[in-house]
Amino acid sequence: MAVYKRRYNSYTGSLTPAWSRFFVLTRFAFVDLFKSRFFVLLLILCIVPCLLSAGYIFVANNKTVQLLMQLRSGDFFVVENQYFIVIMIIQAEAAFLLNCWVGPVLIAGDLTNGALPLFLSRPFSRVDYVLGKLAVLGLLLSAVTWIPCLLLFSLQSGLAHDGWIWSHLWMILPMVLCSAIWILMLSLLSLAVSAWVKLRIVATGVIFIIFFIPAGLGEMFNHIMGTYWGALLNFSYMFRIILERGFRDPYRLLDLSGRNEIPVAAAWSALMVVCLLSLVILNARLRARETVRG
Amino acid sequence: MMTPTIELDGLEVQLGGRTILHGLTGVLKSRAIGLLGPNGAGKSTLINTLLGFHVPSRGSARMLGFNSHTSGKALRSLVGYMPENDAFISKMSGVRFVRYMAEISGLPSEQAMERAHEAFVYVGLGEARYRPVGTYSLGMKQLAKLAQAIAHGPKVLILDEPTNGMDPPARKRLIELIREIREASDICLLLSSHLLRDVEETCDEVLILRNGKIASICNLVEERRANRKFLELETLGAEATFTTALESIGCECAVFSSGRIKIVMPDGVEIREVFKVAADRGVQIRRMNHRRDSLEDIFLNAMEQTGAADGRL
Repeated sequence: MAVYKRRYNSYTGSLTPAWSRFFVLTRFAFVDLFKSRFFVLLLILCIVPCLLSAGYIFVANNKTVQLLMQLRSGDFFVVENQYFIVIMIIQAEAAFLLNCWVGPVLIAGDLTNGALPLFLSRPFSRVDYVLGKLAVLGLLLSAVTWIPCLLLFSLQSGLAHDGWIWSHLWMILPMVLCSAIWILMLSLLSLAVSAWVKLRIVATGVIFIIFFIPAGLGEMFNHIMGTYWGALLNFSYMFRIILERGFRDPYRLLDLSGRNEIPVAAAWSALMVVCLLSLVILNARLRARETVRG
Repeated sequence: MMTPTIELDGLEVQLGGRTILHGLTGVLKSRAIGLLGPNGAGKSTLINTLLGFHVPSRGSARMLGFNSHTSGKALRSLVGYMPENDAFISKMSGVRFVRYMAEISGLPSEQAMERAHEAFVYVGLGEARYRPVGTYSLGMKQLAKLAQAIAHGPKVLILDEPTNGMDPPARKRLIELIREIREASDICLLLSSHLLRDVEETCDEVLILRNGKIASICNLVEERRANRKFLELETLGAEATFTTALESIGCECAVFSSGRIKIVMPDGVEIREVFKVAADRGVQIRRMNHRRDSLEDIFLNAMEQTGAADGRL
């Protein structure tokens, strides 16, 4: 089908492996995302706390700099598990904001003008489609959560005394696991909203509503019933509980009116339920053809 | 033995609690198949079932030997699909959209880009390829849909109402393109339309649906060949000797007023022999027509028959 010949020819060349094709969606989405200056700015802002934190770790491990800056060494410069909890929480909130900007357009753009049948009429399943979109958020949110936190951990390991890394190696697991559940939940939730709501601003609003309205209702439930189980609807708080227990925080940095009594398994379950509900919505919405009942 | 293009074996499809396709059974062997039927006959449902979008509640559908349900992915790797409704990503430029689709079909990035450009130029949208698809006119969107359906070089091209919303020149151009694609390669074509002319101009075999049932399967090539045996003549001169001479070479003749004669020619007798007989008898042939048992006749006939069977007109 060469241009100058203007004649149709079938394709006889090589094909990419079927398993890798979902990544085409990811690649195209990233190209579109990086065309937006606002997105680039937002991404940089999300990484700023980690850069500041790197500076902090450097100062905390460098007595000369401390002396030069006339800073007194002491508890202020302790880089332990609580320090990483705080960094993880800041980065998780940054990931939430990034997700609110990126997530709502990922599927809506394909559904608005009925492009989904074009994807699904190819050797490409709905699972591939969701994986492709999920990878966009997964990579992006990883870049602002566990990856910079691991880099900070490496920096601290390099700068601290010899035994620090071995005595703190266990922190890598909660760092990755806690980030993974948070990223998975945020990604699936925003994809589900994107599959349901076509306008970006409305979809972003819906994500905020999903995070804050149930949390408020949960608080009301706690006050009325005199319990703490209503906090299960506060997803950010559930994440913090997982984080805190994962990082073996004996001081309960986040302890608020006894809600820390919620078992960590319940917190995990609450986030998993959100993931499952999002998958149910995606399953219902991502169809090549809609069936009209009746 | 050649694999049939489409095999339907008691195919029943239910959607939303309603039976849309009622036990379709048939084999279509031609390379270019037309799906005909009034609105709501089940054409798009059949296409969607062949693509694996709908699961048959009973029976099966096969395309080029692949079961649409159990071998859906393998089947879809052979297919280029142009849907009936709008299907595009509005903010993407035309060529990027086609490249995107070609890459999802498995083409490596460079080849996908190359073929996207070629496909766009081929369908006649070369000048508009860098514009966002959302800014295209309806006809251009149809052509962009065709470009994405052919860019990855499919073995089966499924076109669902391809000329919808196109003005006559654009429609003519699209039909020419479809015929070119069909003739330039070994691609199989499945074209669904309610426009008889589109199907007549591009297809060799027709599946006519009505109310989710097969009203008729008709091989247009054979029909056209058979039509060549029926002639209508308008003559001037010795009609009686002319018809006798024609009957002597095996033709069946019916004579009407004003020199009109209808002839059924036996196998082996060609039209030039009719001219020869006329010249020998000094008869002028003023007009000669093949019988026009067009697709329209076949379609109306199928509709009447199934209508009668259903107790409806």
